[in-house]
Amino acid sequence: MTVPIEVSGSETQADPEAVLAGLDRKAIEGRSLSQIAWLRLRRDKVALAGGGVVVLLILVAVFEPFLVSWFGHPPNEFHQNLVDPNLGGRPLYGIGHSGISRHFLLGVEPVNGRDLFSRVLHGAQISLLIAFLSTLISVLIGTVLGTVAGYFGGWVDSLIARTMDVFLAFPLLLFAIALAGVVQGKAFGLQGDTLRIVLLIFIIGFFNWAYIGRIIRGQTLTLREREFVDAARAMGARPAYVLFREILPNLIAPILVYSTLLIPTNILFEAALSYLGVGLEEKTATWGSMLAHAAPDYALDLEFVLVPGLAIFITVMAFNLFGDGLRDALDPRAR
Amino acid sequence: MRNVAYLLAAGGMLAVSLAACGGSGGTSSGSPASSFNAAVNGVVNVSTKTGGIVKYANSGDWDDMDPGDTYYAYTWNFDRLFARTLVTFGDTPQTATTLVPDLATNLGTPSKDLKTWTYTLRPGVKFEDGTPVTSKDVKYAVERSMDSTTFPNGPTYFAQVLDAKGYAGPYKDKTPLKAIDTPNDSTIVFHLAAPFAEFDYLAMLPDTAPVPQAKDTGANYKSHVISTGPYMFQGNYTPGKDFTLVKNPNWSQSTDSVRHQYADQIQVQINAAAPDIDNRLLAGTLGVDITGSGVLPATQAKILLDSKLKQYTDDALTTRLWMSAISPTVAPFDNIHCRKAVEYATDKTAMQTAFGGQLGGDIATTLLPPSIPGYTKFDDYPVGPAGHGDLTMAKQELTACGKPNGFTTTIIARAERPKEVAAALAWQQGLAQIGIKTDIKKFPQGDYFKLYAGNKAAVKKNGYGLMMYGWGADWNDGYGDLSQIVDPRAIHGVGDTNLGVTDPAVSALIDKALQTTDTSARNTIWGQVDKMVMDEAIYVPFLNAKGLYYRPPNLKNVWVNPAFNGQYDYLSISAN
Amino acid sequence: MVAFIIRRLFAAVLLVLVIAFVTYAIFFLVPQVAGLTPYDLAARYVGKTANPATIHARMVKLHLNQPFIVQYFDFIRDLVFGAHYDAGAEQSYCPPPCFGYSFVYQTPVWPQLASRIPVTLELAAGASVLWLVGGVTIGVISALRRGRPVDRVSMGIALAGVSLPVFFTAILSQSQIRDRFQIFTGAGGQWVPMHTDPMQWLSNMILPWLTLAFLQAALYARLTRAGMLETMGEDYIRTARAKGLPERTVIARHALRATMVPIITIFGLDLGTLLGGAVLTETAWTLPGLGQYAILSIGDNDLPAVLGVVMVGAIFIVVANLVVDVLYAVADPRVRLAG
Repeated sequence: MTVPIEVSGSETQADPEAVLAGLDRKAIEGRSLSQIAWLRLRRDKVALAGGGVVVLLILVAVFEPFLVSWFGHPPNEFHQNLVDPNLGGRPLYGIGHSGISRHFLLGVEPVNGRDLFSRVLHGAQISLLIAFLSTLISVLIGTVLGTVAGYFGGWVDSLIARTMDVFLAFPLLLFAIALAGVVQGKAFGLQGDTLRIVLLIFIIGFFNWAYIGRIIRGQTLTLREREFVDAARAMGARPAYVLFREILPNLIAPILVYSTLLIPTNILFEAALSYLGVGLEEKTATWGSMLAHAAPDYALDLEFVLVPGLAIFITVMAFNLFGDGLRDALDPRAR
Repeated sequence: MRNVAYLLAAGGMLAVSLAACGGSGGTSSGSPASSFNAAVNGVVNVSTKTGGIVKYANSGDWDDMDPGDTYYAYTWNFDRLFARTLVTFGDTPQTATTLVPDLATNLGTPSKDLKTWTYTLRPGVKFEDGTPVTSKDVKYAVERSMDSTTFPNGPTYFAQVLDAKGYAGPYKDKTPLKAIDTPNDSTIVFHLAAPFAEFDYLAMLPDTAPVPQAKDTGANYKSHVISTGPYMFQGNYTPGKDFTLVKNPNWSQSTDSVRHQYADQIQVQINAAAPDIDNRLLAGTLGVDITGSGVLPATQAKILLDSKLKQYTDDALTTRLWMSAISPTVAPFDNIHCRKAVEYATDKTAMQTAFGGQLGGDIATTLLPPSIPGYTKFDDYPVGPAGHGDLTMAKQELTACGKPNGFTTTIIARAERPKEVAAALAWQQGLAQIGIKTDIKKFPQGDYFKLYAGNKAAVKKNGYGLMMYGWGADWNDGYGDLSQIVDPRAIHGVGDTNLGVTDPAVSALIDKALQTTDTSARNTIWGQVDKMVMDEAIYVPFLNAKGLYYRPPNLKNVWVNPAFNGQYDYLSISAN
Repeated sequence: MVAFIIRRLFAAVLLVLVIAFVTYAIFFLVPQVAGLTPYDLAARYVGKTANPATIHARMVKLHLNQPFIVQYFDFIRDLVFGAHYDAGAEQSYCPPPCFGYSFVYQTPVWPQLASRIPVTLELAAGASVLWLVGGVTIGVISALRRGRPVDRVSMGIALAGVSLPVFFTAILSQSQIRDRFQIFTGAGGQWVPMHTDPMQWLSNMILPWLTLAFLQAALYARLTRAGMLETMGEDYIRTARAKGLPERTVIARHALRATMVPIITIFGLDLGTLLGGAVLTETAWTLPGLGQYAILSIGDNDLPAVLGVVMVGAIFIVVANLVVDVLYAVADPRVRLAG
């Protein structure tokens, strides 16, 4: 499991052997792997729908400033004229006192009266940014160390494999909270949210590489024994050549699948950290912190919990659906 | 009363109706029907019936269960159940802030120069194991509480006023403390370094609760504090764990004029979730939220919209002041005009909203709350009719400070306090109106004064320009309220509660007050101290706190005690 | 076999030591990253009126100014042999395993940890039974009814299950089940040990079990289904069928057994991780377990306590790994030789 049990979002359990088996068909059918995969993926309506939502979410995240200025209010702007301070800061208007109106599409937050629509959109931007980049870090470290360990074997392999063991035995969530909680103010020439986002990306990425590294190592071990690698070595190819030209291209399919399935895990990881109060600045909207702040207010109106909660759910679900589809497309035996 | 309740539920005329309630609340004692604010001036559900269990819940944990090492209003309030002190406060709403003898037979007898105070102990008071309490046990308790290494949490008044400079407590200092005499088992004499007219208030501190030296295990004594009160610990107490108090067989009503032994047991839950506490209060399965911070916003809405629930609530003004501090050591706040700009730009209404609106408190402009003698109404930095800040004045001050376009600084707050953080957010938003950009940082409350707000070097080094702060009087008079936050001599560098007042004139004025024997003249001086400090624009008072408390209808003998920040009186409360 | 177990045990102890080293290193560095000096750390142990001299004395006494490696060896020494602490009136002995002294509670860390382990254990035990039985059953049914409505619906729910954060399902079940129908209210958020009042304990635990198990069951259903489908395609299953064995026997004896091996492996590891503190579940349900203690300690900057929880969590994971390895070796002799 890539992360502590309670936040494991997807099992990332595609069978490596099966994914590789997909490669064998190449010769038989005379089509490239990507062509076959695309053909299969095209037939998988559910996965396509998931993919569609993913694309939509990315667009929303990218164009967040425009969407907010067209349909909402700045995410940190107070609208206390819309809440009743004496009734626990409950919004004055809207269905079930949610504050929903023409101007506030998803209502307003209790007490401060900030625009929930803008905040949930801002949360999407932060969530996706952190999830994508931290996944990139995990995959980079995991791939490099995994292939090196698998290819060279011997003491290099032992060292890297034991390091992975250490990482896999850490209570990662606790570690991440302890680390993310202490860093204050300025560091590395950065400050404020920029610093904290970089820090979160680094922490999540760094603590998650071991699992993917172990998979890549296993795959490399198998690939190393294959004929075409033997052939390359027999012809006197240097290790770097073999690694980059022979082994790495054959790892692209599993890397792609695991990356897609690691992203939702990282989204949940980020949400968990900000739910526990160690995310970004106090004023900044993230899904986890919105949920944590709304939790004591659930009796006021469930809407304040549902907005960030469903945002997390839909996003993670979409990535999982797409990732599953991708895996099935690259793995002929799974379906 | 019903009509008033209805009006309140409608959300209008709040201040007026509260005043109306306050006026007539006293009549309800003993009557079966309850009403809003009935426990503010009277006792609700008077009963002398015995039996039952009173249940308390705490959303956090004690700083220390050892009476010699604790500094919260609620712990001082609660600890009286098992710890008797030389003197204590009266047991009725009318006498709640009046000192009465407890272990002692009378209040202290001072010498003419106010430097020697003598107390005589009541005969017949015993520890829970049956051993008689002697003056030596009281002396030992005060001595050990002065070991601030072993007991870091409690107040330090004794170390300040006793003639015992550099005394490190009985564990390290083997020479007996000369500043306290025990000529016989029932007499104790305190020798002070300087005249101090208010020593009886120190004799009220939990530090004077006797500790038998034979049973003292230092920092581990908290695992079983030896009781002198009507209740004692069942088994051992573990920090962070729920505990139960049971009847103390060796306590006798005849030796005690303020305590009773009505309930069979007192149970306390630690680290409870705040929403669960409110749910259980409303369901009647919990008696009291012990920290006295009032119900959550969601519960407040639920209660106010339901007149059946509302009759069981009180919303009393406390002596607690919510304020913020501006560090004069952090640029650009070394310039008084930048500090004044912050004072004027503060959106006090938004900060009030964060604390629950008008039910959370009244907007404050002074350090002394209205309920403390000496309070003088003034407002150095008016924030406009709606309380959202006077931006014109703020910009003028900014320009005078040489920063017409604003600047960047940091606000710090205590992470465990959601309302304080929400107020910081509201402050941030208000200051942004004149171009002051801020970043909010949250720190654990346990470290807040040692490592952050109260650490002079850290404040300067890390540039904590603005600091969220709250203060409740240790006792209800000018010295008990102001001395620890405005006297420059209270700045030690670590764990400070005075967050930046350094003007020696303030010290001089405080000394003048302490040597003034005439009470009303002394109180006038406290008002002057308040004004002198406010003129420096170090503190930004914004709310005289209130708390909306819910008292389940099955709780007996409930009344709001102004001596303990307006919490319910935990000594009186009993169960069915 | 004995040699194998000893070898593995040795490796596990080594792993714990390495983890302790890394953990200690990180927690040694953390305060420095946050800008705290050893002097600041010592300030946490002293009183309000402390002067610089007493803080300095504290720092020296607690070895806070010593080099990292010295402090690490002190930590391990205290862990194994116990330590003495100054409690004022007496020297307080902290017996092994002594994880140090908490800043906040002013008590040794280990009794705090020990008193919270049962809560986490009960949470993990109940939830794991639910998710293992539930997840595997659903997975098997789905695999056997592949493509049918049962399969589609249960896999849809399973996918939703793995996409829902446990702190969201906790709030949903609090508001929509507990508060709405007033069931499983337990003691109203107050922890009741099993031996005090079994019914209240059960009422307290059911919803936390269900929310935690829902997430995990979804995961296991997906794993089981995938595993079953793969096994069902294997030659030996076809052989078994060809032999004329009843379908029930083929599934129970052959297919399920083969599928369960990797599932049990993962189960062991998941359980180990969970025992180190179900941080989110315990936070969302205010259960006084290791996870909640970890969060409280992190919130209080109580480094010795945090260090203790992380160590205990790591030990649980390592032990779970060890147990899984040994079970494997028992089941499959080849592992013994290879390992």
